Amino acid sequence: MALRTRIAVTFLLLLAAVLAAALGAVSATNRGNAEREVQRQLDVGASVFSRLLESNRRQLTQAAQAVAADYGFREAVATRDTDTLVSVLENSGQRIGAAMVVLTSLNGDVIAASGLRVKAGTPFPLSPAQRSSPAGDGATSLMVDNGRIYQLVSVPVRSPLPVAWIAMGFELDAKAAHELADITGLAVTLSVNSGGHWANVVSTVPAGAASQSDIVTRRIEMPKWGNAAVAAVLSRSLAEARAPFERLTQVLYLIAAASLIASALAAFWLARNITRPLQDLTQAVDQIRSGAYDVPLSVQRRDELGVLAEGLQLMQAAVQSRDQSIRRLAYEDSLTGVMNRTAFGAALGQVLNAADAPIAVAVINLGRFRRINEHLGYSVGDAVLTKMAARLAAVPSVNSAVARLAADQFAAFTRLSDAADLQAWGTSLVMALADPVFVEAQPIDITATLGLALAAEGAGSPDELMRCADLALEHARREKRVLAIYEEGLKPAARDQLSLLGELRHAVENDELRLFYQPKIELQTGRVAGAEVLLRWQHPTRGLLGPADFIAFAEQTGFIRRLTRWTLDRAIAQGALWQRAGKALALAVNISADDIGDVRLDSRVASLLTRHQLPPVLLTLELTESGFIEDPTQALRMLDAIAALGVTLSIDDFGTGYSSLSHLARMPVHEVKIDRSFVLGLESDPEFALVVRSAIDMGHGLGLKVVAEGIETEGAAARLRDFGCDIAQGYLYAKPMPLAALESWLEGRERVRVIAVPVDFKTEDLVDTVSLAIY
Amino acid sequence: MTLMRRHRWYAAMLGVLCTPVTLGGMVTVNVTAHSGAAADTVIVFDPLDAAPPAGRDAVSIDQINQRFVPRVSVVRTGTVITFPNSDRIRHQVYSFSPAKIFTLKLYAGSPQTPVTFDHAGLVVLGCNIHDKMVAFVGVVDSPYFAKTPESGVATLNLPVGRYRLRAWHPDAVAAIPSREITVPPGPLSFSLSVDLNSAAAAVALWPE
Repeated sequence: MALRTRIAVTFLLLLAAVLAAALGAVSATNRGNAEREVQRQLDVGASVFSRLLESNRRQLTQAAQAVAADYGFREAVATRDTDTLVSVLENSGQRIGAAMVVLTSLNGDVIAASGLRVKAGTPFPLSPAQRSSPAGDGATSLMVDNGRIYQLVSVPVRSPLPVAWIAMGFELDAKAAHELADITGLAVTLSVNSGGHWANVVSTVPAGAASQSDIVTRRIEMPKWGNAAVAAVLSRSLAEARAPFERLTQVLYLIAAASLIASALAAFWLARNITRPLQDLTQAVDQIRSGAYDVPLSVQRRDELGVLAEGLQLMQAAVQSRDQSIRRLAYEDSLTGVMNRTAFGAALGQVLNAADAPIAVAVINLGRFRRINEHLGYSVGDAVLTKMAARLAAVPSVNSAVARLAADQFAAFTRLSDAADLQAWGTSLVMALADPVFVEAQPIDITATLGLALAAEGAGSPDELMRCADLALEHARREKRVLAIYEEGLKPAARDQLSLLGELRHAVENDELRLFYQPKIELQTGRVAGAEVLLRWQHPTRGLLGPADFIAFAEQTGFIRRLTRWTLDRAIAQGALWQRAGKALALAVNISADDIGDVRLDSRVASLLTRHQLPPVLLTLELTESGFIEDPTQALRMLDAIAALGVTLSIDDFGTGYSSLSHLARMPVHEVKIDRSFVLGLESDPEFALVVRSAIDMGHGLGLKVVAEGIETEGAAARLRDFGCDIAQGYLYAKPMPLAALESWLEGRERVRVIAVPVDFKTEDLVDTVSLAIY
Repeated sequence: MTLMRRHRWYAAMLGVLCTPVTLGGMVTVNVTAHSGAAADTVIVFDPLDAAPPAGRDAVSIDQINQRFVPRVSVVRTGTVITFPNSDRIRHQVYSFSPAKIFTLKLYAGSPQTPVTFDHAGLVVLGCNIHDKMVAFVGVVDSPYFAKTPESGVATLNLPVGRYRLRAWHPDAVAAIPSREITVPPGPLSFSLSVDLNSAAAAVALWPE
């Protein structure tokens, strides 16, 4: 039920109940009251009637006695002076308004009469009481004569003995009855029973009213005189008695009805007044929920609802502002104001779904950007990024968008009218970024590298397209080109299908990972200097997968740390095994940038070395320069700690990164590993040879051992040997191979002798021992 | 005391009056009522064989303590009755009885005028201002009458002969029937019984 109805109904029911109770009580009381009132009235009426008779009696008695005591009258009685007697009787009767006065002899014969037509000598009906007791002066009785009722009082006339009776009477006529009725408020009826039949002689009951059924009566039988009995009937109509109460009840019902209606209106009005704004507010809230923040909440009230509306208004504003900032945070790069990766992905998805024309995606990397931050400060770096973003956004394109993906990485997409325009678009982007950026009147040169990818019509997800552009970018960087366009060949096999972390975790648990070993050769002597440990995944359905197929993914997901721990454990265990067998071989394990961020890496390595009893000198950790980019200070601290263990540290892919030489000098590394891209071009490109030679010289200059990888030809090996490179690694000598193959390969080959003893590190954190045991 | 003495006195007077005329015997009448002796019963013997001798008496009826004393009197026709008033208050004396209608206006002390009762019959006396004062005077032609004293026994000396005996009492419920009595030379004694009710509404008719 709606709140309005509920409020109204509750109030009405309550009021109705109270009214019903009150009316019921009043009605019941009234009914009882009316009946009691009638009975009381009848009691009073009977009493008044008897008082009336008594009053009449006294009056008559006094008058009759006055006459009887009169000497002249007695004399007239004694002398039977009839005319005189009649006149006296008339006179005395008139004095009190008596209807009749009769003088009778002691035995009841009429002597004289006034007001009554009786002949002298005829018997007058004296009452038996009067006859028997002459002393009973003033006894009253009723007489019926000629259809009239008289109240009689008779007193004796003494001279001095009783000689006659004077009977004096009032007529109980309609007048008397009406007087009585007026006094008592009752209807008065006088009935006479003559011959067994009651007949009303006098009645104040209106004609026709006698048929009413609810008449309450009180019958008063009166002393019988003669052959007629007289009864007075006092009556009262119950309905009439109830009438005032009925009227009161009716008024009460009217009041009740009026108050119910008024209350109903008031309750509905009140409820409406409450619920109407509530409905408005509810609608407003619905609109706000659906994302509209300009809902007018105009409840102009000063009560709680007004406060609520005001609160909602404020909430709406707050939610709107928060929503905007969340959207900004979620979809906008806070520094540059262009889209972030998420928003870009979504926008790209929309365009891909909608567009019929080819969609081009560019991933742009700002070269040397980290150095700008390092040397000119972050504020300058931010200014450069902002300007770059603005420049990219200003490039005229159709249906395009620009986003900042990472610190120095941007992305853009556009709808091309023709796929052949891809190169031109890419060039326009490069040109936009080519001019020096002026920050604080200082020109800063930015080298941007672009990876371009083109979505085939209606194919490819945004992620896929971005990855393609990424691959193109990597390719461009590797090729030292400003711009590269993605081709099918750049796509590693099945790479995109290994995106499931669960599968990789499964691989660890089910022991699907394998260690492969690629030997390292001392260039000057040809002896085996050690081996690089490489991870392979013996996938149950896809066969053997190389690091390119899953390492990047593991790095992205953070799973790389587990892989590294696993690799370290197995490698160190194997190294220890060989060492105990007297066939010690130095092993190099790759460490990713993420591993360097692991603050417990040193204690893990220490505890593994202790556990497997491998001399630290037999372990080399290879890490790329990117490991220093995130947090150079922390990375340096970690490398110091690992170096302190006696473990050899090697910089992998040396030459491709951007680490400054000052950094390199401060790092506790023991060797550098020149990137294979330089080695591969060694024979064909004199510049590359120069770079390689310089790198080797620089390494040596810093007191580091120099390792070259990717050696495929004897010529390259010879050049490196000439340059003074210390150790070589490549297909020329051996491919990465499983343990058994390595062991047979090692048969009969001379190794660099390493004199090493295991060290028992007092690790502070032995918890890692436990965690290592888990896998 | 005074009343008793006077009654005796009247009885003696009757005896003195009758004695010289009578040649008969003593007649004793004993009147009784249910409650015992019936005093104040008037007894009259009317001679049937000869006319009664005439004569007149002088009698007084006093008014003491708002009562007539005596209450009942019997007198011969022509008797003069005086009404002295012994009370301090005034009294009026009247009669509407047909045998004697008269009025004595309010007076005090000694009687104004004696009243002659010259017709036989019962005379009821009253006082106009004191309704309760009632006296009865039986006026008879015969000289042979008596009123019973407290004992209810009256004794008369009557000449021998036949008589009609009448009796009357103011409180009698009904008239006492008359009867014929023959007085022998010797003493005669008989009884009468009356039904008395002092609260009776009417007085029994005077036997004429």
